Amino acid sequence: MIPITLGVLALVDGLFAGFRAATGRNARIRKDAYNRRAAWRGLGVGAAGAAAVGLLVAIGIAVAADPGQRYDELVSAGGRMLLVLLPFAAVVVLSLISYLLLPMRESTFVMVLALGPFTLVRPAVAAVAGIVAAVGSTDRLVWLVAAVATASVLMVEPAVHRRWYSEPV
Amino acid sequence: MAVLEISDLVVSWDPATRQRLPVVKADVVARLRAAADARAARIVERIPTDGPNLDDAAVDRLLVRAHTELQRLGEELHMAQRFAEMLVPVLAAARDGGVHPLRVVDIGCGLGYVVRALASSGVLGPDVELIGVDFNPALVGEAQRLAVEERLPCRFVCGDAFALDEDATLYLSNGVLHHFPADALGTFFRAQDRPATAAFVHYDIAATRLAPLGAWIYHRARMREPLGRHDGVASARRAHGDDVLLAAAAQASGMETFLFEPTRHANPFCAAMRPVIGIRPALTARFRAELGRRAKGLVGPR
Ligand SMILES: C[S@@+](CC[C@H](N)C(=O)[O-])C[C@H]1O[C@@H](n2cnc3c(N)ncnc32)[C@H](O)[C@@H]1O
Repeated sequence: MIPITLGVLALVDGLFAGFRAATGRNARIRKDAYNRRAAWRGLGVGAAGAAAVGLLVAIGIAVAADPGQRYDELVSAGGRMLLVLLPFAAVVVLSLISYLLLPMRESTFVMVLALGPFTLVRPAVAAVAGIVAAVGSTDRLVWLVAAVATASVLMVEPAVHRRWYSEPV
Repeated sequence: MAVLEISDLVVSWDPATRQRLPVVKADVVARLRAAADARAARIVERIPTDGPNLDDAAVDRLLVRAHTELQRLGEELHMAQRFAEMLVPVLAAARDGGVHPLRVVDIGCGLGYVVRALASSGVLGPDVELIGVDFNPALVGEAQRLAVEERLPCRFVCGDAFALDEDATLYLSNGVLHHFPADALGTFFRAQDRPATAAFVHYDIAATRLAPLGAWIYHRARMREPLGRHDGVASARRAHGDDVLLAAAAQASGMETFLFEPTRHANPFCAAMRPVIGIRPALTARFRAELGRRAKGLVGPR
């Protein structure tokens, strides 16, 4: 359950990261297709990052003296990560739903007071999740996986932005 | 100490001929340093030059980039819908009063987001002509290009907010009032008190104590261009207070003037937008009726 939840979180985060990477670069009024495309690109880059992490985990387990114990170590590190990530994700999703459902004035406040600041603290939240996952273990592979996973999530937005959206359309 | 916006300093126009004037980089940097704004000075130092002057093409590119990012804020804050909320009742009242043709002019339109969004949704009705005016031809050109690209029924022209060529049934602006010093606001509003005018609706940042903090967080999260981030906070710092706006708007003596949902009615803690509204007294009753319950949000001068 924990690996799947982490994977789903990474992919959903990739969708949003792709969307954000493309914002502020297209002044047209109708740009749903543009936004969707950006989100798919984010998902693609996010999936590549998640696959890299998966590969690292698979190799780490394959070469371990006690694969079962290492797997358990990794899963409990993932659990610690979720302890930080899930509450944050829940608040973000709630804010997003209220932004979409509330009348325009109230939804403005959700944007300025919640969603804007959340974007700002997202890298810190991801970093804390990585640190919390790493410090609970003495296995160097866990440290490495936590670092690579955090970095791969954080690089989606800049990567998509640099590759496709560095100039206004 | 004066709060300066970089975007105001890097372009200059001859008010009489509307010709672009060269801007000496060292002068802008010196002004910003004199205003104790070293960060803004550094941003300007990075703009390419043509001899001692800022390079016009580079400045235009920078402003278009910053305004493209700014549009996202307008979208997220639903500015087009907020204008429609006020404009639809005003125009209904004007139609009732036999006003024809109906024309809406956006003053200081930038890339014309509000006008293009209103044109795209068609909420105001097919009998309303939509025009955007800005004194920066680079922004006007980009606004026009975008409108043509999406075949939107609106157009954009160069012009000065204080010497408007266009008559209008309704003048609006978004985020422009704070660009003018308080003592020029009266002139700005009076210039719109013309026989053809039925109303004006000017949205700007509510000047609350926490507005600069809210603007910092929000611009930091949503904009990449350092110029945009800087000017966003400066806007919130120099925004005019409710009383200043109401007193200035009252100088359009043929209009009844209001703020709509000023900060004491809403959230006092963050950067929010609220409009100052002027409307011909003959249309006020119908306007209020069209607004329905929301008319309670209209607050006149004390
Ligand atoms: C903060 S921007 C707002 C742009 C646009 N209304 C929006 O919401 O995105 C202010 C705009 O006002 C324009 N402006 C400032 N002073 C002006 C004047 N005296 N006459 C016409 N436009 C002016 C600037 O060129 C700039 O595009």
